[in-house]
Amino acid sequence: MSRDFDVSPELARDIGRLSSRARIVGGAALMLCVFGAFVSPDQFLRSYLVGYMLVLGVVLGSLAILMLHQLTGGAWGLVIRRILEAAVRTVPLMALLFLPLALGVGRLYKWADPALVSGDPLLRIKSAYLNVPFFMGRAVLYFAAWYLLASLMNKYSAEQDAAGANPAAEKLQKLAGPGLLVYGGTVTFAAIDWIMSLDPHWFSTIFGILVMGGQAVSALAFVIVITVFLARRKPMCDVITPAHLHDLGKLMFAFVMLWAYFSFSQLLIIWSANLPEEIPWYLRRFNHGWQWVGLAIIVFHFALPFVLLLSRDIKRDNRRLTSIALWLLVMRCVDLFFLVAPEFSKDSFAFHWLDPMAPIGLGGVWLSSFLLQLKKRALMPVHDPHLEEALTRP
Amino acid sequence: MSGSSTPPIQPPVLDPGQTFGSVTDKISSIVLTKRTPLVWLVGFGIAFSLTMLLLYSIGYLVVKGIGIWGVNVPIGWGFDIVNFVWWIGIGHAGTLISAILLLLRQTWRNSINRFAEAMTLFAVACAGLYPVLHLGRPWLMYWLFPYPNTMGLWPQFRSPLVWDVFAVSTYASVSLLFWFVGLIPDLATLRDRSKKRFSRFTYGILAMGWRGSARHWQVYETCSLLLAGLATPLVVSVHTVVSFDFAVGLIPGWHTTIFPPYFVAGAIYSGFAMVMTLAIPLRKIYGLEGLITMRHLQNMAKVMLATGLIVAYGYMVEAFMAWYSGNPYERYMIWNRMTGPYAMGYWALIFCNVIAPQTLWFSKVRNSVPVLFAMSIIVNIGMWLERFIIVVTSLHRDFLPSSWGMYHPTAWDWSTFLGTIGLFAALLFLFVRFLPMISIFEIRQILPQAEVTEPPK
Repeated sequence: MSRDFDVSPELARDIGRLSSRARIVGGAALMLCVFGAFVSPDQFLRSYLVGYMLVLGVVLGSLAILMLHQLTGGAWGLVIRRILEAAVRTVPLMALLFLPLALGVGRLYKWADPALVSGDPLLRIKSAYLNVPFFMGRAVLYFAAWYLLASLMNKYSAEQDAAGANPAAEKLQKLAGPGLLVYGGTVTFAAIDWIMSLDPHWFSTIFGILVMGGQAVSALAFVIVITVFLARRKPMCDVITPAHLHDLGKLMFAFVMLWAYFSFSQLLIIWSANLPEEIPWYLRRFNHGWQWVGLAIIVFHFALPFVLLLSRDIKRDNRRLTSIALWLLVMRCVDLFFLVAPEFSKDSFAFHWLDPMAPIGLGGVWLSSFLLQLKKRALMPVHDPHLEEALTRP
Repeated sequence: MSGSSTPPIQPPVLDPGQTFGSVTDKISSIVLTKRTPLVWLVGFGIAFSLTMLLLYSIGYLVVKGIGIWGVNVPIGWGFDIVNFVWWIGIGHAGTLISAILLLLRQTWRNSINRFAEAMTLFAVACAGLYPVLHLGRPWLMYWLFPYPNTMGLWPQFRSPLVWDVFAVSTYASVSLLFWFVGLIPDLATLRDRSKKRFSRFTYGILAMGWRGSARHWQVYETCSLLLAGLATPLVVSVHTVVSFDFAVGLIPGWHTTIFPPYFVAGAIYSGFAMVMTLAIPLRKIYGLEGLITMRHLQNMAKVMLATGLIVAYGYMVEAFMAWYSGNPYERYMIWNRMTGPYAMGYWALIFCNVIAPQTLWFSKVRNSVPVLFAMSIIVNIGMWLERFIIVVTSLHRDFLPSSWGMYHPTAWDWSTFLGTIGLFAALLFLFVRFLPMISIFEIRQILPQAEVTEPPK
C-alpha cells in the first residue's frame, strides 16, 4: 500500500474550487448580514449568535473529539485526525468573528442594560457575575484556552510527522486529559455566558453538557461530510473503507442519543417541578407556534436520525450517511435557533430573513478557511503508532 | 485481535505463556479440586454472621415498624435511601463491563466481566431490600405493581418511585439473564471435568445440554450480543431513574437538571471502585495475577479517574449554579452543606471523591497495587458519603426554620447496613467457591493460541 498521503494535485484543485465557492456564497451572505446589521441591528445580533454558535460548535466539538481520541485510541480517529486538526486551527478566525457579539453585548443581553438591572432585584444580585467587563474578560480567557489547546495539539502532531518520534505521541496523550478538562470548564461557562444568560433569570445545571453534546453532534456530522468528500479522491480513496464510515456512523449515533438524553432530562426535571424561575423558559417554547419547532427538533434531530442510524447498511453507505450528517447540521442550527430566538419573541413565532443568512454567511466563510487549512498537510499522520491498525481495518 | 496490535508501552492483557489447557486448569481447579483456603472459611464465617444480623434486623423491623430507624420528619429518607442508591450504583460497573465494553470490542474485559456481573447481581439484591423495607408493610409490596385489583387502586404513574420499580426489576432480570447465559459454556466445562457425581449432575443440569457444537456457539454469540444491546441502555436508564427520584421533586439540593448524567457517572465510579476492591484480594488469594493483570487494574484506575472527574464537574456546576441562580434557598442549601452541621461529611466526600483520586493521574500510582486498593476503598466511602449528603442535608433544612431537624441513625440503621454488606460478601464467597469467577471460554478467545492464521494465498 502506498505510504504517500500528501494532498494530490487533483484533490488540491477540488478543495480550492470548493473553498472559493464557499467563500463567494458565504461572503455574499455576510454582506447581506452587514446590510441587515444597519437596518435592524438587534435582529442581526440574534441571528448572528445562532450562526456563530453553530460554527463554534463544529470547531470546539472537533477539539474535544481530537483529544478524546488521543485518550481512547482506535482506528476511527486516525482517518479523521487531519480534518479535526484543520478545524481547530480556525480558532483565531472564530475569535475574530466573535467581535460583532462583543460589540453588541448591550443590545443582545438584558443584563447588560443598567436600567433594567436596577429595577430587578434578582438581576442586581446576579450582576456580580453578569456584568460587561467580567463577560469580556471571560471571553478572552476562553479563546486563549482554546487557542492554546488547538495550537499545542497541532504542534505536537507536526512534530510527530517530522520526526516520527514516540515523545510526540506521548505529549499528545499527556495533553489530552487535562485538555478535555479545560474544554469542559470553558465550554460550560461560555454556554452560560452566551446562550443561557439571554434569559438572565433562568438556570439549569445540565446546560453546559447539553451544549457539549450538541457540539459533538455538529463536529462529527461535519467530519463525516468531509471524510466522504476525501474518500472520493486520491489519496484517501485507498484508505477509507466502509468499516471506517461504520465506526463514524456509530459514534454519531451515540452522540445523537447522548444529546437527546441531556435534552430530555432537562425538560422532564424542569417541567415536573414547575418552579417560577425555571418553567418560563419552557413555557415560551411550548406556546405561540414555537412548540412546532420543538416538535420538529424531537422528530428530526432525534427520532429520524435514530431510526436511520440503527441500520448497518446506511452507516456503511457514503451517500446516505452524508445525507444524514448534512441533515443533522441543519437540525443543529434549528436547535440553536430554538435556544435563542424565543427569548426575543415571547408572544409569537418569528422568523427573519437574517436567521438563515447568518449561518450561511458564517458557515461559508469558515468552510473556505477550513479547507485552506486542510490542504496544508498530509491527510494521514504517517508516524502514528496505530497507523497500521487504521489502514488494515477490515 | 490480541496483543499484536497494542503499542509496546502498555503491559499485556494476559501474562505470556498460557494455553487453553493451563487457563482451564487454573480457573476450574479453584472450584473443583483445590482445597478451600482458610481465608475463605474465615471470611465466609464473618459474612454469614453479618447476614444473620441482617435477618434479625429485618425481623425486628417487621415486628416493630420503621420507627426503629432514625427517619422522621423532616428527614423521611435516611439510611434506607442512601444505601439503596449506593448499592445500586455499585452494580453499574458490572453491566458496563459486560455490555458496553463488549460492544466496544474491549477484550481486556474478559478477565473481569464474570465476577463484576456477579457483583452487580448481589449489589442489586442488597439495594432492592431497602425500598421494600422502607414501605413499612413490606408484605404488601406487590401494591407497587399496576395490576387490576378490587380496590380500584393504581400506582401514581407520574411518580419516579414507580418508574424505579420497573427500572430496577428490569435491570435485575436482564443482569441475571446475561450472567447466566454467559456462564453456560463454563458450566459445561465444569460438568465435563468434575469427578464427583453430585457436582457432575448439578453442573450438568445448569449447563442446559451445552455440547459446544458450532451451531451452539453461533446461537450463543448472537444471544449474548443481543443481551448486551439490551443491557446497554439499562446502564444509563436505571441510575437516571434513581436520580429522578430526587430531581423530579422541588427540594433545593435535589431538584437540579444535571442529576441524571452525574448520577450515572457516579454509579460507574463507585462500581469500578468496588470491582477493584474485590479484584485485588481475589487475584492475590487465588494466584490469578496472570489473568487479572496490571493492565486491568490500570484500565480500571483510568475509568475511575475519568468518571470521578465527571462527578467533580457535577459538584462544581451544582455549587456554581446555586450561587448564580440568586435564589436564596438554593444559595443557602449549598452554603449549609459546606459550613452547616454536616460540613464534615461534605468536605470528607470532596476529599474522597475529588482530591484523593487525582493521584491516579500518575502512572506510578496506577502501578502500585496497595495504593490502588486504598484508593478504591476511599472512593467507596466517598460515594456513600455523597449519597448521605445529598439525601440528608437537602431534607434537614426544610423551607420553614420551624421544621428544621437533624438525622440520627439508630443502631438498627447501622445493623441493617452492616447486614447488607454481609449478605453481599456471603453471596460473593459462595460464588467464588462454586462457580468459575473468571470466564474460562472468553479468556481462551483472547489467547494467542486462538488466533487463526490464514494460509498464504
